[in-house]
Amino acid sequence: MKILFSITLALGLLGLMLFGGLVAESRSDGGAAVPATAAQAATLQSELGSTDTVTLLRRLQEQARARAGDARTHALLGLAYSQRARETGDPAYYVRAEAALRRARRLDPNDVYALTGLGGVALSRHRFAAALELGRAATAAATGNAAPYGVVGDALLELGRYREAFATFDRMAALKPSASSYARVSYARELRGDLRGAIEAMELALDASIGRPEAAAWAAVELGKLHWSVGRITRSDSYFRLALRTVPGYAPALDGRARVEAARGRTARAIELQRRALIAIPLPQYVIQLADLLARAGRKAAAQEQYALVEAIERLQAANGVTLDLETALYRVDHGIRLEQSLALARRAHVQRPSILGDDVLAWALARAGRCEEALSYSTRSLRLGTRDASFYFHRGMIERCLGGDAAARTWFARALATNPHFSFRWSPTARRFAS
Amino acid sequence: MKKAVLASAAVAAAALAALAAAIVGSGPSAGVASSHREAPLISEDPSADNTDLYAFRSPDKPGTVTIVSNWIPGEDPAAGPNYYTFSPTAKYKLNIDRTGDARPDIVYEFRFGRTAGPAFLGNTAQSWSMWRNKKLFARGKTPPNNIGPRSTSNYPSLVSKSIVHKNGISIFAGQRDDGFYGDIGAIFDLVGFRKGTGGAGGGKDFFAGYGVHAIALQIPIADLRAKNSTIGVWASTERQNVAVGGKLRRGWTQVSRLGNPLVNEVVVPTAFKDAWNRSAPVNDKQYAGPVVKPILAKLMNDLYKLNAPEDNRDDLVAVFGTGVKGLNFTGPTVADMLRLNYSIPVTPAGKVSRMGVIGGDTGGFPNGRRLGDDVIDIAEQVMAGFLKGNKVPLGDGVNAGDIPNLATFPYEPDPQSGFGNSKGQPKP
Repeated sequence: MKILFSITLALGLLGLMLFGGLVAESRSDGGAAVPATAAQAATLQSELGSTDTVTLLRRLQEQARARAGDARTHALLGLAYSQRARETGDPAYYVRAEAALRRARRLDPNDVYALTGLGGVALSRHRFAAALELGRAATAAATGNAAPYGVVGDALLELGRYREAFATFDRMAALKPSASSYARVSYARELRGDLRGAIEAMELALDASIGRPEAAAWAAVELGKLHWSVGRITRSDSYFRLALRTVPGYAPALDGRARVEAARGRTARAIELQRRALIAIPLPQYVIQLADLLARAGRKAAAQEQYALVEAIERLQAANGVTLDLETALYRVDHGIRLEQSLALARRAHVQRPSILGDDVLAWALARAGRCEEALSYSTRSLRLGTRDASFYFHRGMIERCLGGDAAARTWFARALATNPHFSFRWSPTARRFAS
Repeated sequence: MKKAVLASAAVAAAALAALAAAIVGSGPSAGVASSHREAPLISEDPSADNTDLYAFRSPDKPGTVTIVSNWIPGEDPAAGPNYYTFSPTAKYKLNIDRTGDARPDIVYEFRFGRTAGPAFLGNTAQSWSMWRNKKLFARGKTPPNNIGPRSTSNYPSLVSKSIVHKNGISIFAGQRDDGFYGDIGAIFDLVGFRKGTGGAGGGKDFFAGYGVHAIALQIPIADLRAKNSTIGVWASTERQNVAVGGKLRRGWTQVSRLGNPLVNEVVVPTAFKDAWNRSAPVNDKQYAGPVVKPILAKLMNDLYKLNAPEDNRDDLVAVFGTGVKGLNFTGPTVADMLRLNYSIPVTPAGKVSRMGVIGGDTGGFPNGRRLGDDVIDIAEQVMAGFLKGNKVPLGDGVNAGDIPNLATFPYEPDPQSGFGNSKGQPKP
């Protein structure tokens, strides 16, 4: 019976019976109700018989044309575009998602799916202030539903408003314990340095993903990353492999496996896995990782090709409304590219995104540009939650070194390596050198 | 009656469903490792989702009542390596009200263990423990999911060996064939969303071939001792609470519940979906408005001019909320419970009507619910006003499941195997 529920939810975007809200919307455009011929029925039935997002998109586009006045149909179309964006890494889909969701919102300003969907798109584009506003509107449209609080909490985190974010996630989990609320509580715990608690919550998320392979693969990769963050290579590998068994070719899991192989010194294998990840979804971070691996393997020309690609992808993302200033700044600072300009970029990014990551990137940018006093204050801010992040520790070590605090620097480098000796292909060797 | 299968359509629709609930789904963050996570916002939770509930006097053992509760919608039997199991971190409950106050007097609670080996190799058998009113009552093990003749040969004997008998109660937990049947296409057609085969017969059973996970209990009537011999039953699922700081475990929250078929779908608006699933039947009066004046009746009249009464639907409140006087009435408290008057005898085989009470058979829905009761057709006709004298022969054209039910406990047929399932193929 639940498929009935689900199908209804799908087609009506209402969560429940076909007739209820679907009816309320359908009356505005008087959907066709005359039974068709058997041949027509057969054609439609076979067309519906596909699960891939591309086919779903085509069907939904048709339905949106047929039901121009139906908010729910447009909201569903918007969600499908968002899904496609995630699957492909192609940010052009966010533009279409936003258009469909905005249309839904114009037709029904209180449609919780349109509002939450728009909030989700804003999050994906790193427009966190906008996401917060939309998430709040969604919670107002449906105060007892959990999902909109996820949007609100995610936005608050990136705006550095941690106490409020954590309270929001607590609320979300109280309204409905589920994979999505468990995952957020996990991340919050990780930010607070509670790794055991983070792993426990993500295990709950994995358990709550039975029957949904993509969600399960996602949770498995997050568990892999959690174990990785404290240097448990074998353990993390087992989770990346679990993710790949769950969804073969899952890009984040390939990326995880690549870093495992690199840590084990199998650079050629790591390169192959990283390539496969990036072919599946061309994210800047995968390209950077591949470039760094190629550079490490001494393949300078190939590495250069990839480095050139990074900026191209970031420009493409920006053209489609995805703000990657912070990520771009970090990449440039890491690779010694136009350090003064990168510092300016990091400052701008920090205004929009004053999270501990923003603090850390700005600290690092300042340090690399020689402004180590100012860097120190941002580094301290980045560590204020107690997050166990080896990169953050390493950056601090470099800042201390810059300020002449050699003993302090060594302590920080040692701490970074004790946390995760493989925290960065590019910088782990530096940490090792300076720790002794 | 053999029906062609539109399993893939159901799966496509399920994918749509995931989309609908997935405001933003999972995906790698466009940033570096420690930047925001883009965790899924999907809150659908198949292994906690109640799909169907049945309660009936056992036809082969009329001194007992059988309750069967299904979870996990649309299990694809060939889902390897992602086999379905009960969630080891959820509580599964069957709740029974004896007094008509819509509060549970007997609660059977199940917890399931992790699979012995990696589930992806087909190790899907799970140990279970059952508590009755918080006292440990019995332990057992599910049979494995039905994978195929090599991995899980002689499946019926695996099933019967797994049934536990304790203090007169029989208990089964494990994978079953989904006993629900219906033509979703025809129903969609009713509301004009998709041109389909309509209610003119020849409907296609969307659910054929799919599986569910079920818990079945057979309880001696002597144990029930309910007021007016009528019990109110509902199934529910709970998940562990978490909080960012503080204690790691702080109690449980209900995430799904089910009493009567179709109530979730007809009555509860989207904006209250999570609240409904968290709430208890005793508070259901708040949802009575949409039952008294159902939009569905208006739609039926708009589309087909059926003369369905559009307001003052005390008949619907009776069927779904209080029980029907003279049949299974439990009192004035409006609550979504499946109400079974177990003093009404089992209907002899030749006289069973899939239309239950409105087909002249008081052994069926809404007096409890048997596996063969055609709740979609019954609901359509009741919505059109059958109990108020407006009798319209509506139906989705699917009158039975694709596989016959078993004659004995646990009654739901064995699940189709991953190896030889009929999902997606027309049956001969």
